[in-house]
Amino acid sequence: MTASVNVPLNSRGKLAATLPAEQLAEITALFEFRRTGHSLDAPFYTDSTIFKIDMEAIFGQHWIFAASTAELPEPGDYVTVDYGPYSLIVLRNDDGGVNILHNVCRHRGARVLTDAAGTTGNLVCGYHSWTYSPEGNLIHASAPGETKFDKGCFGLKRAHGREVAGLIFACIADEPPADFDETAKIFEPYLAPHDLSKTKIAYQQNIIEEGNWKLVMENNRECYHCDGHPELACSLFPTWGLTEGLIPAHLQEVWDRNKEAQSTLEDRCRRYGLPYEVVEQLDTRIAGIRISRESLDGDGESFSPDGHRLSKKLLGDLRDFRLGRCSMHLQPNSWFHFLGDHVVTFGVFPINEHQTLVRTTWLVADDAVEGIDYDPEKLTYTWKQTNLQDKAFVELCQQGAGSPAYEPGPYMKSEYQVEAFINWYVQRVQEHLA
Amino acid sequence: MIEVLTETGTQEPQRIRGLEMPWNRVMGSNEGAARAAHALGPWHPQEFMAECVETVPEAGGMMTFVFRRCDGAPLAFRAGQYVNVAFPVNGEEPEPVDRSYSLSSSPTEPWTFNITVKCDPTGLVSPWVHANVKPGTVLEMLGPVGAFHLPDADRRARYLLLAAGAGITPIMSMVRTIHSLPGQADVVVLYHGAAAGGFAFHKELAYTASVDSRVKVFYSLGDRSIPDGWEGLSGRLTAAMLEEVAPDANGRQVYACGPEGYLNTATELLKKVGVDDTSIYMEFFSGDRQTLLEYQAEVALAADFAEGIAEEIAESAEDYYESQPTAFGLYEPVYDADGTLEASGLPLEIVAPEAPGSDASAESAGGEPEAASPDASSFDTVGTGSLTMSFMRTGINVRIEPSERILEVAHRAGVRIGANCKEGMCGSCKVVKLSGEIEMNHQGGIRAREISAGKFLPCCSTARTDMVIDA
Ligand code: FES
Ligand code: FES
Ligand SMILES: [Fe+2]
Repeated sequence: MTASVNVPLNSRGKLAATLPAEQLAEITALFEFRRTGHSLDAPFYTDSTIFKIDMEAIFGQHWIFAASTAELPEPGDYVTVDYGPYSLIVLRNDDGGVNILHNVCRHRGARVLTDAAGTTGNLVCGYHSWTYSPEGNLIHASAPGETKFDKGCFGLKRAHGREVAGLIFACIADEPPADFDETAKIFEPYLAPHDLSKTKIAYQQNIIEEGNWKLVMENNRECYHCDGHPELACSLFPTWGLTEGLIPAHLQEVWDRNKEAQSTLEDRCRRYGLPYEVVEQLDTRIAGIRISRESLDGDGESFSPDGHRLSKKLLGDLRDFRLGRCSMHLQPNSWFHFLGDHVVTFGVFPINEHQTLVRTTWLVADDAVEGIDYDPEKLTYTWKQTNLQDKAFVELCQQGAGSPAYEPGPYMKSEYQVEAFINWYVQRVQEHLA
Repeated sequence: MIEVLTETGTQEPQRIRGLEMPWNRVMGSNEGAARAAHALGPWHPQEFMAECVETVPEAGGMMTFVFRRCDGAPLAFRAGQYVNVAFPVNGEEPEPVDRSYSLSSSPTEPWTFNITVKCDPTGLVSPWVHANVKPGTVLEMLGPVGAFHLPDADRRARYLLLAAGAGITPIMSMVRTIHSLPGQADVVVLYHGAAAGGFAFHKELAYTASVDSRVKVFYSLGDRSIPDGWEGLSGRLTAAMLEEVAPDANGRQVYACGPEGYLNTATELLKKVGVDDTSIYMEFFSGDRQTLLEYQAEVALAADFAEGIAEEIAESAEDYYESQPTAFGLYEPVYDADGTLEASGLPLEIVAPEAPGSDASAESAGGEPEAASPDASSFDTVGTGSLTMSFMRTGINVRIEPSERILEVAHRAGVRIGANCKEGMCGSCKVVKLSGEIEMNHQGGIRAREISAGKFLPCCSTARTDMVIDA
């Protein structure tokens, strides 16, 4: 857990205040007249001003998933996380906590740490060597002849950090939304048995999708398109998001298998005291969440062609490999799969209105030996393929949004989570602009 | 009179995470006292003499023999490993009979060690052992060997231990070891036996399970008729039985020991309940299945040491044999200046092959002494390769590459050599080398005196030069 120091960053509604009244009215109207149950109007995906509003109202106000414990196991380990105009340093401090610092030098603003990840003692800016402690305090600045220079006034700006069950979240708002702790209480018991503190990175993939970040999230929140994921369909039941009565004839058999696997899984969960119930509060709370533990096809163990484990070492104190997948969706920028043998985390980091970085990280038990207990190729295969397919889908939509012929279309029943995401987003921005 | 004590504190003990064998840290240390404690860590198989100090009859026609090393050193081994013992079953005969027996005691009590032998009345060795090995008996042993054992450190330590009949011996060592160590573990033992009164160690197993919450023991009576009052399971191993005793078998490491049929069934069933085959370790007491090896590197290391020692011993073979105690009346080999090994008091059998370059001679490997060696140049030659192996009994020349394992090539050419483990552990492929040089990578399946007598294990050997082999 992190102690956080509040440094006022900017006044609320700053961007809105600088916009010409006419443009602001136009944008506010777009939010106000958003048609429920339909995809957003084109400017939400293409307009740079709306992107700036997104960065301010969503990524500047809410808790975002930044990294997992495995990415910074030791004191001094850090990752840098960039999105929109921001760059954050996520650093493991000597007390075992996490410091979140803005990666902007207080001298003339240079990026202080330029690598994506590493280990550091103090933080030295490469430009004029201003040196900061891991807490962000300026501890050295050569200042020949300066008499009135007060180092105490030039620490790196700090933001809020939280580590829950091995996941690290950051919030750069002055006052973070208060309900995150409640959300954490919901997911902590689902995740804790997988013990992320005893995992390591088997592989990390960064892909840039040529699409607005909301399209990336929307695409993740439905499985209507799962026919387009042949590799994933081996283990993930493509009936995801459907309920009795909505099952098309060609999926009936799969649905029956799914139901049986689910009831077996639930028996097992009860035996081991693992929670599995669906908790779905995607747009009914600020820190929106959906979590559940669901069965996988085949052996029911992992994302492999036959559902068999992909790493031979069980995570944490789990007793059984056949635990399906515990899946979590968090607003606004992440989703996760926790399995008996590995964990996959997905973080979405917007670059601009039409480009988004998607970071996928595969974690295995930290005593699993590459080449013996797992093969990184096989471990990552299904989701690498799926990510590429999703990237293509997102890009097709981005192209469509750029066409004058585009108009919002209706979300189907199985896309109710997409609607929930968009509804959450619209509400949050409206609150911010109000 | 049974006194009922009301139990109060029923809380679970607090334990460190996972299991760690006591020698684990010591082996990584080179300093001071820890250095001295290295003797307690399993390191490499050795040849040693051991004296029987106690015999304990067990249920099921088994007998436990407690030994201590004659040199007073502790016996370092891993729970599940075995020793190879030379039994002088034929009294004055030159060759004792070697048999491997699992250690049933725990390596955490290393000053004495146990083997537990089931008496098979039709067998050659076990009835002799039951009748003749007593406190005071001294036997030559080699060990420890075998890759079927608990890991040195395991932070999960969830095991399903399957035993049938005499297969309980290495499993017993594992249970005793875990019970004697601190640390979190979760052990389920499923023990199949033929008769209600025939479960060796059942009292100790019941006691252990009653005081150690980490250990659960289940008995099953196989397919025999069930006597009144039997409270255990009944029937052969089934998937349902596995599910019943260990519904989380899928996430456990499984160690299984017993007769081949039982283990074959177990393999099938374990697969059915979702146990990954890399989580299954088996010790076959019979048959020709290969022992699963998880600790290849570790065993290979042990083999290197064993070979080093064997070479050392071979170099001073004369001293070695002279240094062996003769007072036990086991055998009294003589090493003469020509390197011929002879059993004193018996007619000398010498095989003097005429193969060129031959300087090694050996006693006949149990068969008829060759009257005169046939001429290998008249044999058919098969295969391709830069070296020639002449199999004198089969009458064939086989071309071989220096990288090929001799046993495989021989088998392909139709040379009949028995083999079980194919990894240099069991000794069943042992043959006599009449000439030529080999490179052998064995794991305790052969003794130094046998190597110096010209024997080798073709399963784990490659040829360095042309060879002449008595097979
Ligand atoms: S900008 Fe960082 S030291 Fe000058
Ligand atoms: S086959 Fe076992 S030692 Fe060669
Ligand atoms: Fe997808």
